[in-house]
Amino acid sequence: MSSILTYIAIADGKVKRSSLEVLSHSKKLADAAGFTTEAVIIDPNASNYVEDVQKYGASKIYLVEDALFSEHRNSPLLSALAKIVETVDPKVTAFASTEGTKDILGALAANQKAAVVADVSSFELIDGGIKATRPVMAAKILANVEAKGNKVLVSVRSGSYDLNESPATAEVISVDAGVSEGDLKAKLREIISSTSDTIDLNEAESIVAAGRGVKDDEGKALISELAGVLNAGIGASRALTESGMYDPSLQIGQTGKVVSPQLYIAVGISGAIQHVAGMANSKVIVAINKDPDAPIFEVADYGIVGDLYKVLPPFIEELKKIKT
Amino acid sequence: MKFYVCIKMVPDVTAPLQIKEGELIMDADRVVLNAYDASAVEEALVLTEKHGGEVEVVCIGPAKASETIRKALAMGADKGTHIQTTGDEGYDSTSYATILSAFFKDKEYDVLSLGKQSQDTDSGLTGSMVAEKLDLPYATNAVGLEVEDSKLIVKRQGDTGQEMIELPTPCAVTCSNDMNDPRIPNLKGIMASKRKPIDSIDISSLGLSDEELSPATKTLSYAPKPARKAGQKFEGEADEIARKVAQLLDTEANVI
Amino acid sequence: MDEKFDCIVIGGGVAGLSAALTLARNNMKFLLIERGEFAGSKNVSGGVLWGSDLNKLVPNYWEEEDGGWERFINHRRLTFMDEQSTFSLDFKSKHFNEAPYSGVVVLRSKFDNWLSAKVQEAIDASDFAMDSFIATNIKVDEVLMENDKAVGIRTGEEEFHADSVIIAEGVNNLLTRQVGLQDKYVPADHMLTGIKEVIRFDQKVLEDRFQLNGLSGMSNEFVGWATDGVEGGGFLYTNRDTISLGLVLSIKDMREKKRSPHDLLNHFKTHPTIADAIRGGEIVEYSAHVVSSGDSRAMPKELYKDGILIAGEAANLLMNAGKAIQGMDYAMRSGILAAETIVKAKEQNDYSSAVLREYRAVLNDSYVMKDINNFQDAVHLLHTETMQSKVPNLICDFGRQFFTIKNEPTPKSEKMLLGAIKRHSSLWELIQLGFKARKSL
Ligand SMILES: Cc1cc2nc3c(=O)[nH]c(=O)nc-3n(C[C@H](O)[C@H](O)[C@H](O)COP(=O)(O)OP(=O)(O)OC[C@H]3O[C@@H](n4cnc5c(N)ncnc54)[C@H](O)[C@@H]3O)c2cc1C
Ligand SMILES: Cc1cc2nc3c(=O)[nH]c(=O)nc-3n(C[C@H](O)[C@H](O)[C@H](O)COP(=O)(O)OP(=O)(O)OC[C@H]3O[C@@H](n4cnc5c(N)ncnc54)[C@H](O)[C@@H]3O)c2cc1C
Ligand SMILES: Nc1ncnc2c1ncn2[C@@H]1O[C@H](COP(=O)(O)O)[C@@H](O)[C@H]1O
Repeated sequence: MSSILTYIAIADGKVKRSSLEVLSHSKKLADAAGFTTEAVIIDPNASNYVEDVQKYGASKIYLVEDALFSEHRNSPLLSALAKIVETVDPKVTAFASTEGTKDILGALAANQKAAVVADVSSFELIDGGIKATRPVMAAKILANVEAKGNKVLVSVRSGSYDLNESPATAEVISVDAGVSEGDLKAKLREIISSTSDTIDLNEAESIVAAGRGVKDDEGKALISELAGVLNAGIGASRALTESGMYDPSLQIGQTGKVVSPQLYIAVGISGAIQHVAGMANSKVIVAINKDPDAPIFEVADYGIVGDLYKVLPPFIEELKKIKT
Repeated sequence: MKFYVCIKMVPDVTAPLQIKEGELIMDADRVVLNAYDASAVEEALVLTEKHGGEVEVVCIGPAKASETIRKALAMGADKGTHIQTTGDEGYDSTSYATILSAFFKDKEYDVLSLGKQSQDTDSGLTGSMVAEKLDLPYATNAVGLEVEDSKLIVKRQGDTGQEMIELPTPCAVTCSNDMNDPRIPNLKGIMASKRKPIDSIDISSLGLSDEELSPATKTLSYAPKPARKAGQKFEGEADEIARKVAQLLDTEANVI
Repeated sequence: MDEKFDCIVIGGGVAGLSAALTLARNNMKFLLIERGEFAGSKNVSGGVLWGSDLNKLVPNYWEEEDGGWERFINHRRLTFMDEQSTFSLDFKSKHFNEAPYSGVVVLRSKFDNWLSAKVQEAIDASDFAMDSFIATNIKVDEVLMENDKAVGIRTGEEEFHADSVIIAEGVNNLLTRQVGLQDKYVPADHMLTGIKEVIRFDQKVLEDRFQLNGLSGMSNEFVGWATDGVEGGGFLYTNRDTISLGLVLSIKDMREKKRSPHDLLNHFKTHPTIADAIRGGEIVEYSAHVVSSGDSRAMPKELYKDGILIAGEAANLLMNAGKAIQGMDYAMRSGILAAETIVKAKEQNDYSSAVLREYRAVLNDSYVMKDINNFQDAVHLLHTETMQSKVPNLICDFGRQFFTIKNEPTPKSEKMLLGAIKRHSSLWELIQLGFKARKSL
């Protein structure tokens, strides 16, 4: 029987929500087409996550459990995925679009001679492949694309689909990665910085994002306080990740992360198209900027024209009041 | 070290565009060197200036793409290859990767450098495809490069942090524009670029079959993004409008 | 590569490109430097290129499938405007349908880029295919002088040498001032601001709305209410599937009346006639640019110096006498003449002002300086309060009465006119004006 296979990404000992979003959607498509819904987990502790994944309807779960996968490395991941895709032979293999996915998607497609579409905001099955929609031209417009072939790979932007539980009891199959440390040509020397202690922007319900208007520690403190009150993740424009004020993994936009939280508060961000490309799908957008003509106001639901140093204190105070 | 940098001519995403009956209409003159590729060129130049070596660029594209190559030569690259297309083939990342790998098959190099994605399509596939086809170790989304002996040390931006990866050469790497600020060619560079060689070759010389070249994906149509509903803009006393919006987020938008 | 050029042309606008094309055709070794990303990228203006010099520069340009131009003008309109009405002088003629056209509408970013490609072709065909250059994204910081003679240019840390320099830098002529041909300070009353929106329509809608046929086009100038009492005027030109709509405004008057170009353009667009013209269109570009008032008092002291010629709007060559703005055609002609002068200088191997003054002589003999000198009074006249608001109001008032058909006895038009005159002006003022106008036009 044909199947849709979803790759389940694990981060910080948790299944990434974006993977479950994709699985939820795959399940819907598979059911409608009479396909089976399958999933693959590649992690040193892969079996720990079977339960979570079953909840979203996978009826077969492939586990590649190996210490090799304690850190992200493209070459073993690629080998493992190639092996799974080879043996399972799904019609469609779906991924959540993360840096980890981006690292191997093209290579996997080349390896499997599969048709591939990256970073879609939606996809459907069609005869012989899929039809998908993906933002292009710095997310100014949408392209409707079609990918056809015996194998099709697709990666989906986080926040494109809602989670949808439909519990199943899955058959669990362990697969040997078939790679060993000695096979690896590239060497991972070290992991430099990690923001694992902060909230994952792809999963955050709310995000407070800082731009060049945030000039100093005082401004940074205001951003942190606001994020604290809202239990929000902190993001930044390229201007501030470039200057070193914020960690590069917090960059939101075309080069950085694409996010779609319920609430996005852009503070001191002008709204260059490359930034907007990464946040325009947020449900509610608030912009605080002292320049009334800043382009960020064109996408904002609530625009506050003013100096962030004057606006944020009462804004935070009022939110605290509402919260209590 | 010998670097080959794959550079692409892309439409300027900041130029006005128009969708007519599903087709995307842009000013054909408003094209630029893909920003990520410009960073890849810059980094290769910096490394060869420091450690010695050579930088060649390769571009697949229509006649106008020679201007893009000229731009990289003006920045300082030594030589260019223009693989000619009509521009109407509908090639996708897979086709480009196929062409590039066929081109590189019998070439000597230490590092194949690509952009992490095309600015217009944001696909981000070609780099790792080429690496896989040529069986090269690779890293994507590099934000810093160093050369140590015959190794390439890549600082890679991952999902939550950065990784230092050591690649033996030959290898492939895809570059982020967060890596550097590409130099703007000076007048001497522009003048010198005119005398630098550009090899112009036809795709047919690469011995690829139509089937190998035919894209597996197809863009059927373009559509405008669904419009957001018009927002409200508040001007006036900071204290007042800040509190007002905070309340609206609670009572109207329901997101607190 | 460090050898000398025959000429360095500064600025890739109409003047610089025309000069460069002429140099290339005459087998000169030159360098054209433009600070924009590409020729035309900074030249957001655009409008009608009048006259037939383009055909001299690029023979049979209209035969090209997709040339640099948008439409040819066969329909001209001058509109007087009051708050609610417009009264137009409208002229459409089949005479204008035949190439070479007497005016074509251009969008500068496209046109300049196209013309620049022509320059490149001419370079490739010359003996200096490898030694002449078009360099973009480079700003000239200084004209290098030795003993008060130009010897080259400096950009950043780099210096390049040449026997001659053509300065075609446009209205903001800092280098012209640097070499001492113009006072450092040019009074603001000689400068206007032009602002423009490009508004897109479905091509069919556009053609129906403005009664265009094939590639025919319309130019429309506006006086009166368009600028809400600020000295200046409005324009509307039809492109392929867009229109260029804008205003040219006195900077000084705007400052005094505390108005901004943006706010005046919005005002203009609320007029019922304009609102009808732009309905359903989508704004795809907005731009603003300084433009000379065409007052010859603002011209540089001289247009040549040892090793230097000034062309185009850098030399303040522009005419704005109400019926049209002529800047691009002057830029084109002066660029051509400047280059021809350099070619002669090379033949004589003498780039001193003794030879270069020839440029001034041929320019004086050309329609450019003749028109500028002959129509100065019209330029001044146009910039009077009477012409700016009283006359348009009066004409519209008269028009409204003249065209109104009520079911009651209609007064004689003469009486209507006199009534209108009384309301908006005095007869004496108009007689004076008519007298001046007859002299100046
Ligand atoms: C290929 C490419 C990819 C890119 N990718 C990204 C990306 O992923 N993410 C990204 O963010 N950018 C990206 N950029 C860069 C982008 O174009 C902008 O340069 C960047 O987003 C600007 O950041 P900013 O808005 O913080 O800074 P600015 O544009 O400098 O804006 C600062 C804003 O703060 C306001 N301000 C200043 N002081 C105050 C104050 N006291 N109170 C209130 N407001 C104030 C100002 O009015 C201004 O609007 C990319 C560019 C390219 C070419
Ligand atoms: C709104 C508006 C409407 C107009 N409408 C019309 C019309 O309908 N018809 C008409 O004929 N005219 C019109 N004009 C006037 C016309 O645009 C100008 O007269 C004409 O462009 C002058 O050409 P130019 O080549 O001298 O200067 P420009 O076109 O201004 O070109 C100068 C070039 O030099 C470059 N440059 C400047 N300094 C340097 C430097 N230091 N180093 C390198 N490069 C430099 C600039 O980037 C620019 O590209 C209009 C102007 C405006 C503003
Ligand atoms: N036509 C092309 N010519 C040269 N390199 C290309 C071409 N297309 C893609 N690339 C390379 O692949 C990268 C982009 O991959 P992608 O996002 O898949 O289009 C670019 O940054 C280039 O380095």
